[in-house]
Amino acid sequence: MVARIESKAFQELSKAAGTLMNPAIQGWKEQGGRVLGYFCSSMSEEIMTAAGLLPFRMRATGSADTELSDACLSSINCSFPRHCLNEALAGKLDFLDGLIVPNSCDNVRRIYDHWIRQMKTPFVEMVSLPRKAGEAQVVWFRDELTKLKGRMEEHFGVEITDERLREAIRLHNETRRLQRRLYDLRKSMNPPINGAETLAVTVAGTAMPKARYNPLLSQLLDDLSETEGHTNYQARLMVVGGELDNPAYIEVIEDQGGLVVTDSLCFGSRMLWEDVDEGADDPMTALARFYVAERPSCPRVYGKYEERAAFVRKMIRDFKVDGVILERLAFCDLWGFEQFTIKNDFRDWDIPLLMLDREYTLSGVGQLKTRVQAFLETIGEADHGSKG
Amino acid sequence: MDPKDEKRLERVFEEIATYEAIVQMLEDNPTDLSHLHLPLAKNVLLQHRETVECVEKGKPLAASYFTNAPEIFTAMDIHWFHLIAQSFGGGMENPHMMEDLEGVDKLAVASDVCTLLRLGLYYLDAGVLPRPTMIIPLLEPCDGVIGLHETLRRHKEWRDIPTFTPDPPYHSDERSIAYYADELRRLVAFLEEQTGRKLDIDRLREVAEETNKQYALWAEYNELRRSVPCPHNHVLAMACFALVQTAGAGNPEHTLWYQAMIDDAEKRIEENNPEVPGQKIRMLWYDVQPIWFNDLAPWMEQEWGVSVILCMFSYAPYTMVDTSSEETLFQGLAKRNLLDPPMVRQARGVADNFLSDIERIVTDYKIDCVVVPGHMGHKDGSASISLMREKCREIDVPFLYIGCDQFDRRYTTIDEMKDRLSQFFSTMELG
Repeated sequence: MVARIESKAFQELSKAAGTLMNPAIQGWKEQGGRVLGYFCSSMSEEIMTAAGLLPFRMRATGSADTELSDACLSSINCSFPRHCLNEALAGKLDFLDGLIVPNSCDNVRRIYDHWIRQMKTPFVEMVSLPRKAGEAQVVWFRDELTKLKGRMEEHFGVEITDERLREAIRLHNETRRLQRRLYDLRKSMNPPINGAETLAVTVAGTAMPKARYNPLLSQLLDDLSETEGHTNYQARLMVVGGELDNPAYIEVIEDQGGLVVTDSLCFGSRMLWEDVDEGADDPMTALARFYVAERPSCPRVYGKYEERAAFVRKMIRDFKVDGVILERLAFCDLWGFEQFTIKNDFRDWDIPLLMLDREYTLSGVGQLKTRVQAFLETIGEADHGSKG
Repeated sequence: MDPKDEKRLERVFEEIATYEAIVQMLEDNPTDLSHLHLPLAKNVLLQHRETVECVEKGKPLAASYFTNAPEIFTAMDIHWFHLIAQSFGGGMENPHMMEDLEGVDKLAVASDVCTLLRLGLYYLDAGVLPRPTMIIPLLEPCDGVIGLHETLRRHKEWRDIPTFTPDPPYHSDERSIAYYADELRRLVAFLEEQTGRKLDIDRLREVAEETNKQYALWAEYNELRRSVPCPHNHVLAMACFALVQTAGAGNPEHTLWYQAMIDDAEKRIEENNPEVPGQKIRMLWYDVQPIWFNDLAPWMEQEWGVSVILCMFSYAPYTMVDTSSEETLFQGLAKRNLLDPPMVRQARGVADNFLSDIERIVTDYKIDCVVVPGHMGHKDGSASISLMREKCREIDVPFLYIGCDQFDRRYTTIDEMKDRLSQFFSTMELG
């Protein structure tokens, strides 16, 4: 994407989001650092940081086709894991020293089965994520994380002490606090940063050491205080959905006249809206509680729709949202059903909603533009902040 | 009866009428298999009548699944109905299917989501599902079931109904079983709270012991399906599931049915009188039997001499429950309900679950070919096809993947299915 913001910090962050092996990872590897890939925002990065590893959230930025992975996955599988596996098979993820795959969804969980057969990554682990969010599930996930910690210690020859976990929690909370400050800027009627740029910043946070990311983000926040805000937009939009790591998708929406001011995305607000309890007696329990029960959930968690809806409505109020775009990766059953309830609720709440299906790579841009333009027309001259 | 409830039971009444006619027909025109088919039809009737009675008399009625420890429900005398069974009630295609599918198409749910699950939502939306007093969803073996049940839970018709569901972990080790056993205990606490009834452990033991007998007999019966030729067609293989995994699991009368199945199979083997004559191709149909299977399977039998030896529902070896203590009872039920039920057995967890079953069945049952129809809703299954193909290559058995919708015959038509199968049989020189 073309950087509008005059900020070196933003340029570096944007670059990290726009590629897989970014300069920060390259530098880390050159210094002998190891990188641990993981799928899904419900995995704890803190444990990886505490182990002295660089967590890398899996994506397939730059992937153009699925020629190699088509031999493994089928055409009725979600394109996100298909592109990820393709990038792996093409050697573009060879910088990974390990991979953690939770059973986050039916498509992603099968990556584990193919990865262990096709790739030579020395450390590949499957983690069982609960599908509910009660206290029993917190205990279960704590045990899962503890077992994972043990295997990481053994494989990587490191010791993950409680103290190191606490340090990592503090560091990652700092990241989240900075990211929330970035979101706060978008509450203004003339936000200095748009949705595409914000997504680039949050994606970058999953692909570089936090010790490097946090100062960059602080610098960006300083730079933004001197950046002119957006004024020429037709409506304030919120994007809701699952895996979306491509700022160009948001850019297409914003090019039509909408300004994306907030989101409920797993590369966006859902990973940063809450903090892990730094004062808890047991840091592992605090992590389990955060990832299972406290942070905003996605539809893979049964029994939490009300909380998800309340989160979206609060966002709509706080960010003065005029309309919501619900984007879904084709073949995602979880968001497929969530669409039904959301559609009904939004009708009751009188909030304009546009539901879009998409592929992982940016495609069908013409159609996307048309749908967004039509949606913006239905919103009309918005009295910003009248919804929710 | 409340007119709303009457409408909600409309389909149940229709099925009662259909099965009453089937029972009558079987009684009036007995065949050499009527004694095996009659109890199945009568069981469907029994379940439906119980559902009606619960609604009429305001008795506890659960919407649940075969994966949710039906033994517990029997022991607590709580009737339940299979939430999404309407489309395939009793193994036959619902006569309203085409109009239902048109209704499904209008729902705000993407068309790439499993048709069966979308049908489940449609039934509630259209007001043709009995209103339960409690909902016990299932959260495995696929994402679709979570999505469906979260949607049902929030549906305006059902959002006031209490719900609890056990959380199945992804692993299959002892720790997972212990966790699931605790989830089942929490399920019992929920049922006790909802019904005011206390679980009698001795009664649960009695039910579990009876199901142990039934599962043992089912396993024995499946051994007989190894015979060449196979004594029965695909219908009775699938039926074994229906009498121990529905409401009333552990009914001692059903134990007699399993024994009768064995007796009949033994007799047919001894007399070389298989139900399907001229068997040439022993097939593993590795998925659910689609609702349109009765339009395809007889053609396969007659045209190609196919004998469908097993499918996902007919091969699900069950764990015997150790009933010696309350602890072992719950552990055993957890193991059985987490690891064994069809579809959950194969699709929950790593892909090796599919592969090891294929290898075992092909070897033990002298299978000539493995056919995966490939339901459009089975995302994890379709992501495992290449591994299944590789496994079949390794054990040297022909493999065919088609791609269809098990609940919508418009997706891949019967004719297209027949073409693909014929090409496969010819190319592989089978039959």
